[in-house]
Amino acid sequence: MKPSLVRTGIAAGLVVLAGVPWIASPSIVQFGINMLLLAALAQGWNIIGGYTGYASFGNSVFYGLGSYGTAIAMLRWHLPFGIGLVLGTVIAVVFAALFGRAILRLRGHYFAICTLGLAEVMTAIVSNLEITGRNTGLVLPLLRGDVLFYELSLSLVVVATLIVAWIAHSRFGYGLIAIRENEEAAAAMGVDTTRYKVLAFSLSAAISALAGGIHAYWITFIDPVSAFDIGLNVKMIIVTVFGGPGSILGPVLGSFVLSGISEILSTNVSTVAGLFFGAVIVVAVVFMPRGVADLIRRFDKYRWRYFAENVRANRL
Amino acid sequence: MDLLWQGLVNGILLGGLYSLMALGLALVWGVLNIVNLAHGAFIMLGGYACYYMFSGLGIDPFVALPVTMAALFVFGYLLQRHLINLVIRAPMFNTLLLTFGLDVVLTYSAQIAFSADFRTINPSYAGAHFTLLGATIPLVRLIAFAIAIALTLVLWVFLARTRLGRAIRATAQNLVAARLYGVEPRSIYALTFGVGAALAGGAGALYGVVSQLNPYIGVSLTAKSFVIAIIGGLESPLGVIAGGLILGLVESMTSLYIGATYTDVASFGILVLVLIVRPTGLFGRTT
Repeated sequence: MKPSLVRTGIAAGLVVLAGVPWIASPSIVQFGINMLLLAALAQGWNIIGGYTGYASFGNSVFYGLGSYGTAIAMLRWHLPFGIGLVLGTVIAVVFAALFGRAILRLRGHYFAICTLGLAEVMTAIVSNLEITGRNTGLVLPLLRGDVLFYELSLSLVVVATLIVAWIAHSRFGYGLIAIRENEEAAAAMGVDTTRYKVLAFSLSAAISALAGGIHAYWITFIDPVSAFDIGLNVKMIIVTVFGGPGSILGPVLGSFVLSGISEILSTNVSTVAGLFFGAVIVVAVVFMPRGVADLIRRFDKYRWRYFAENVRANRL
Repeated sequence: MDLLWQGLVNGILLGGLYSLMALGLALVWGVLNIVNLAHGAFIMLGGYACYYMFSGLGIDPFVALPVTMAALFVFGYLLQRHLINLVIRAPMFNTLLLTFGLDVVLTYSAQIAFSADFRTINPSYAGAHFTLLGATIPLVRLIAFAIAIALTLVLWVFLARTRLGRAIRATAQNLVAARLYGVEPRSIYALTFGVGAALAGGAGALYGVVSQLNPYIGVSLTAKSFVIAIIGGLESPLGVIAGGLILGLVESMTSLYIGATYTDVASFGILVLVLIVRPTGLFGRTT
């Protein structure tokens, strides 16, 4: 497809998305908020996982810190939502920068598992602190305004996607891709790998924390298990890998397609829905390992051979 | 003092079972470079296989154990041969995601097939126990411990001494060189994965005897297996035994002195510390 056509398509899609709350039913708007927040989270994960190649399970920690930062600021210190959101984000970014320096030295599975451990530890710490309301969690003031939250989430997706688009074509982004492809070579070429990785981790953290803060105020209740849920982090990864890691629109597409599928299924048959979801993942990994974004880009050229080519490239 | 002694005994007995749980994961990870997120689901399946042989056919669980392992071996072999081998050269995320998808499929299939009720394999001698220097030792836990350690040692000897074991280790060290020496990686990979699944199945059967089964136990067992594999390193089954014992002791001591809700914090806290200080595992070689 021509770039100008793509741009027009995206702009039209955005206008339609922004208009949804005024024409659709409340349940669709709520589904939309969840889908958009997941898209934003996936886009955040895309920076550290997709571009930099570090499979983070710590993004749910940033999401949780964003939720709790916002909630604590609003409840304990009676600050407005906007300031709470900023506070939560700052906490998450500081946390990412501090821990990033230590754990971004680990490679591959080791990094993934270390961040997984971090998420477990954070859940337990938050469950035992007075200020976070221990196990019972916190109840935020109620604000009836699904439209507001929908538009907020949509803006977050747009901002996150713009950041990723900037990364994809900047010196910073090329540095990250170099780190993903070969970290030693990147360092030898003069990329300050530690600084780049910590920066990518922190950016990723900021987006996750913003999504967490918005979600907390929308849902008005948070507790340690749901705020630091690793399942959410797994979702970010699935959505990103399904859509196309290291691409600009892939994570957003992935979120739209998979949220749609699981929503349709869960309203009809709930037990089989999970089974089918797993099967979709398995089939997608085998036949389109580079995601929907790559499928759209190259299907014109290869047609149905595209799937066979993918299998041939990755099989033993 | 008695409490401490009982805690130590509990920790060691638990740790033996933990080692067997982690063994298959560590083997597959070390040889195929796949972290099998469906490993816990294999353990769950093994547990159910043993449960149905016991409750349906009246077979003693410790007799059903080898049958369970054989069934899981075939399952794992076919899965690797016909599915996972298709994506083995793809980036790490993809194999991680594939096994995650498998985990989801297996968990929901188990829920449909076996229902979400808790099940325990409950032979007539389930309550038998004896005391050793003041500590109570349940008989089934001791048998489970002994079988777990024995299977680990068998794997160690198999890898170290047999031709097939050497082929597996050679494949893990250098795929290209192993191929040049006539190793067929497709079947070696399938075989290794099958052995990993069989070990998971054995662990599941023992788990069903000493604890409770339901379709959702897989995820937390995968996570525990991870922790053990990291602590013990991927190079030798003996490291995995040590890792399992350490985790068992830490969990038992934490629940004794700090509180049962803190066991996960302690084990994952250790994990993070080990990774930061010694990324190759406590017993791994430093690179």
